Amino acid sequence: MIEVVDAGHWTTVQDRGRPGLERFGIPAGGAADWFAAVVANRIVGNPQDAALLECTAAGPTLRFDADAVAALTGGHSTRAANWQPLRITRGSSLAVGTIAPGLRTYIAVRGGIDVPLVLGSRSFCQRGNFGGGFGRPVQRGDALATGRPGEQEPLSAPWPESHRLPARGPWEVRVIPGPQLNAFPEDALQRLTATACRVTPEIDRMGLRLATPGLRLQPHEIVTMPMTAGAIQVTPSGGLIVLHVDHQSTGGYPAIGTVINADLALLAQARPGDTVRFRSVDQAEAVRAWRRVTGWLEFDL
Amino acid sequence: MWQVAPAGDRALLVRLGHAIDPELLGEVLALDSALGNRRPAGLVSTVPAYASLLCYYDPGVTDAARLEASILQLEGHIDAAMSLGSVVDVPTRYDGPDLASVALQTNLTPAGVIEMHAGREYLVYCVGFAPGFTYCGALPDQLSVPRLASPRLRVAAGSIGIAGRQTGVYAVESPGGWNLIGRTTLQLFDPAADPPVRFKPGDRLRFIPTS
Repeated sequence: MIEVVDAGHWTTVQDRGRPGLERFGIPAGGAADWFAAVVANRIVGNPQDAALLECTAAGPTLRFDADAVAALTGGHSTRAANWQPLRITRGSSLAVGTIAPGLRTYIAVRGGIDVPLVLGSRSFCQRGNFGGGFGRPVQRGDALATGRPGEQEPLSAPWPESHRLPARGPWEVRVIPGPQLNAFPEDALQRLTATACRVTPEIDRMGLRLATPGLRLQPHEIVTMPMTAGAIQVTPSGGLIVLHVDHQSTGGYPAIGTVINADLALLAQARPGDTVRFRSVDQAEAVRAWRRVTGWLEFDL
Repeated sequence: MWQVAPAGDRALLVRLGHAIDPELLGEVLALDSALGNRRPAGLVSTVPAYASLLCYYDPGVTDAARLEASILQLEGHIDAAMSLGSVVDVPTRYDGPDLASVALQTNLTPAGVIEMHAGREYLVYCVGFAPGFTYCGALPDQLSVPRLASPRLRVAAGSIGIAGRQTGVYAVESPGGWNLIGRTTLQLFDPAADPPVRFKPGDRLRFIPTS
């Protein structure tokens, strides 16, 4: 068992989420920084879909009642070693502390966090208040069970720096134009990609509100449509909301562009005040970006 | 003319029209079921809403151009007649916090609002926004009121709201900007059930006043 001694700011159980249920209004969810989560599992020898803890801004303190192997990835823990296997002895504690640079740290434990599957996933769904073991973020006093370790051995060395995504901005984020590009004036996307957008404090797993000084996009209204993670919605007043993993499944604000899957991981680490610049790309470049990052996961240490 | 646009690098959005209209919804649902039967390579899941259908695909199996071609092949070849199921009764306590303000805005008495809202059958156009949230239409013109100027941070599960020509039911507690006129005890979302939601697009329902 792992005892939650201090829960941190907002710590939830996440895995790869529950894609395919959007038609019921249920977001896919899962780890916001999918790349850091996969690497954390890889370091401890877990399968890619093992559940882990996603910590936000300030991480938890955990006490282990048995020997364990853990790994922290993503945003940097200021109190523990990052991106490497941590051998934890029975009775000792792991403190994540403040997270910087980056916003979200992932804690994988060999064997995975074992909470019940709900609708095919262990992820906490904030919009529906279910999953994640408790139907809420973890709290002080919670006890987390771990599953049985798989056959893959933990890594013996740190994850190479050359195979990590940047932990701090400014962020260049690639977008595919649309799907509601025709709700905007012709030069709107060009003006957006020429603007340094600033991340506001209004950010969570559902979406990030960005400030765009000097840019005022005026879209037409649309009939409510299905929305994907990464959609850059523009509100009638010209505000920008980039939907993330726990996004609403439908929306009434048109999306001028959609962040490619590979780069959703970058936005998961963006902090208030950071700068985001969007760059318009085609499908071929999105495929190359995905292959490049997933290729890092297949290399042999 | 159907319009297909990429929604990022693993989904296509098919727009069949631009209105809230039963016939368009019928066409969306027919396309959805035609794709479900044919299962084009790489198609992973679909999300219908009003006049459009989102199609998620696996970019390791297919690409946007190939999937678009197999979707557009179906244009003009689907049967858009919606099969109407039975009408589901939604027991409703009309005691919402915005009932009086809606009455004021529509020049009706609260009883008049209730009579008009409960006195008709609605079509489910979409389940979205939050788990199980059920969008229905169409409201009579006279009941059309704008959304709240500032949304509530918490709307209780089961709350029934109106906004524009639509009425909807909040299945789980969530933030919300619709005018709340009542509440139902009917459970619209249950993560342990299969399917986890009570309604799907194309269903019909009726609100039955209870005390």
